[in-house]
Amino acid sequence: MFIQHIIGLFTDPTREWEKIREQYESGSGNPIGHVLALALVPALSGYFGTTQVGWRIGVGEPIRITGDSATSIAIIYYIALLVGVFSIGWVIHLLGKAYEVNKPLPLCIALAAYTATPLFLIGLMQVYPVLWLNMLLGLPALAYTVYLLYSGLPIMMRIPIERGFLYSSAVLAVGLVALVAMLAMTALLWGMGLQPVFTY
Amino acid sequence: MTNTETYNYNVVRQFSIMTIVWGLVGMSIGVLIASQLAFPALNFDIPWLTFGRLRPLHTNAVIFAFGGCALFACSYYVVQHTCHVKLAFPLLAGFTFWGWQAVILLAAITLPLGITSSKEYAELEWPIDILITLVWVSYAVVFFGTIMRRRVSHIYVANWFFGAFIITVAVLHIFNSAALPVSMWKSYSAYAGVQDAMVQWWYGHNAVGFFLTAGFLGIMYYFVPKQAGRPVYSYRLSVVHFWALVFTYIWAGPHHLHYTALPDWAQSLGMVMSLILLAPSWGGMINGIMTLSGAWHKLRTDPVLRLLVVSISFYGMSTFEGPMMAIKTVNALSHYTDWTIGHVHSGALGWVALVSMGAMYYLIPRMFGREIYSLRLVEVHFWTATIGIVLYITSMWVAGIMQGLMWRAINEDGTLTYSFVESVQAMHPYYIVRALGGAFFLFGAVIMAYNLWRSVAGAKPVEVEIPAPASAH
Repeated sequence: MFIQHIIGLFTDPTREWEKIREQYESGSGNPIGHVLALALVPALSGYFGTTQVGWRIGVGEPIRITGDSATSIAIIYYIALLVGVFSIGWVIHLLGKAYEVNKPLPLCIALAAYTATPLFLIGLMQVYPVLWLNMLLGLPALAYTVYLLYSGLPIMMRIPIERGFLYSSAVLAVGLVALVAMLAMTALLWGMGLQPVFTY
Repeated sequence: MTNTETYNYNVVRQFSIMTIVWGLVGMSIGVLIASQLAFPALNFDIPWLTFGRLRPLHTNAVIFAFGGCALFACSYYVVQHTCHVKLAFPLLAGFTFWGWQAVILLAAITLPLGITSSKEYAELEWPIDILITLVWVSYAVVFFGTIMRRRVSHIYVANWFFGAFIITVAVLHIFNSAALPVSMWKSYSAYAGVQDAMVQWWYGHNAVGFFLTAGFLGIMYYFVPKQAGRPVYSYRLSVVHFWALVFTYIWAGPHHLHYTALPDWAQSLGMVMSLILLAPSWGGMINGIMTLSGAWHKLRTDPVLRLLVVSISFYGMSTFEGPMMAIKTVNALSHYTDWTIGHVHSGALGWVALVSMGAMYYLIPRMFGREIYSLRLVEVHFWTATIGIVLYITSMWVAGIMQGLMWRAINEDGTLTYSFVESVQAMHPYYIVRALGGAFFLFGAVIMAYNLWRSVAGAKPVEVEIPAPASAH
């Protein structure tokens, strides 16, 4: 079911958002499997890329991370992604009060999950961890995610586009704050000695 | 009581127009020096075109020329309108305009010549500092003189923010610029060693806190409710977060000096105060966003509202990022990297520039009795600016984290893994993306300048009578 939704979100997003909404309003939708499966893409790709392929900074041999170290990083990464999607879904649900909508939590989580789909899929590029290339590929994916948010939220919530613009901007701001929190947490953990173990 | 007095729009008009002019100048220099970091050959081996001399010119031009003119224009407009009275001391108000422009011109001459006090954001030498003091004291006299002549007993919250900004910047400037001149264009700071550093960052961080935050919150508290056509969401919140903000900001400076010779307790105090600062900052964000949220039905016809929505969102984001980066462990990684540059610009482009531009879209056509020439172009401006900001801050996040990690990477034998120049080399692609982001933002500003010029071209300045205040209730 969700494979069809993913394809639909790239070919005809408006119609696909409506289909997703019908599914969740009738109570037959459950976003958990979708999130669990999609979050595997970046986590596994990252594991493979950092242990097998490695990356180069400037000159010299490629840098890799040891298997043990990469395993724990991949698990933390996977959990962080799950926490990220579910908490943003929960925030969408909470923000509903300010924008006068009351939609069930699963629908809000589905909105967060399907919106983030391009970012999860592009996570595949981490099998070849070259930062500038990843950034080049990541930016269009990010742009499409933002587009999906602004176009999908008014449809899923059944509200006018203008009110949806404000609601989406609030969700985007929360997403940016979550991202910054993640950056700070990484720096914090790294500084406390939980850094990866590299091999050269 | 009949009243045929008119507002003093002349000085507001002058400052508004120069806001646009200096904005274009300052942002162009920014794009040039960003390109120089990606392609160093762009300094053409001309000393006054080098990064070291143009960087302070860029910061001075965007903060004090663009931001400063926007603050003068908006505060003079708001204080007249909310106090129902003409600006006090018109000659002195005129002096603040010409004096401030003279300061900017002197900066534009001395900084490329390499004349600098070397204090960040306070690079100008002592004769210019004296002129700044004269202009600023005149500004305070005009502003508070107008408040004292007000015809309503209440002082609207925007004026509280403007007032705090004017007083604090005066104190900061006078203390930090205290110096011993040895010649016309050379002086030495009155403080020595770590005291000098602490005074400098007490000044530096409050230049952010009062010049770039309190003053612009004053702009937000007038123009957001006006543009939305609704009252402030919570007046009580605005007063509470005003006092919390002015009390807390003043202590946060030491986070610029983590792991330096500054005593450790002072660093920790700065870190704790920076973390507390999140609460009053978000008080302002919530108030702004909730005021706008009730006006959602106007978004279709008013793209200026979008600019304001995004500016307040970026204010919320960067005031969250700031406290995170002030945590000592995070700062150990982020300090001296481009993460800091990205953080500054998410505040400066996202919050300060966008809210000023929103205010200029409101002010300039009104000053000439016209409507905005093209709402469509405002929308184009909105999108180019937003894309520019996103490119800028994402590239700086990646660049900054990478620099931080490369600098601290060590081999098993304890030697550094990377030489500094390798980290510079690794930055090349991100510096290109950053320059591109800056160019997008500048292009948006050019569109705005064209749009506003078309709006007012050929129009005569208007005179508006001051309405009598609503009777007491």
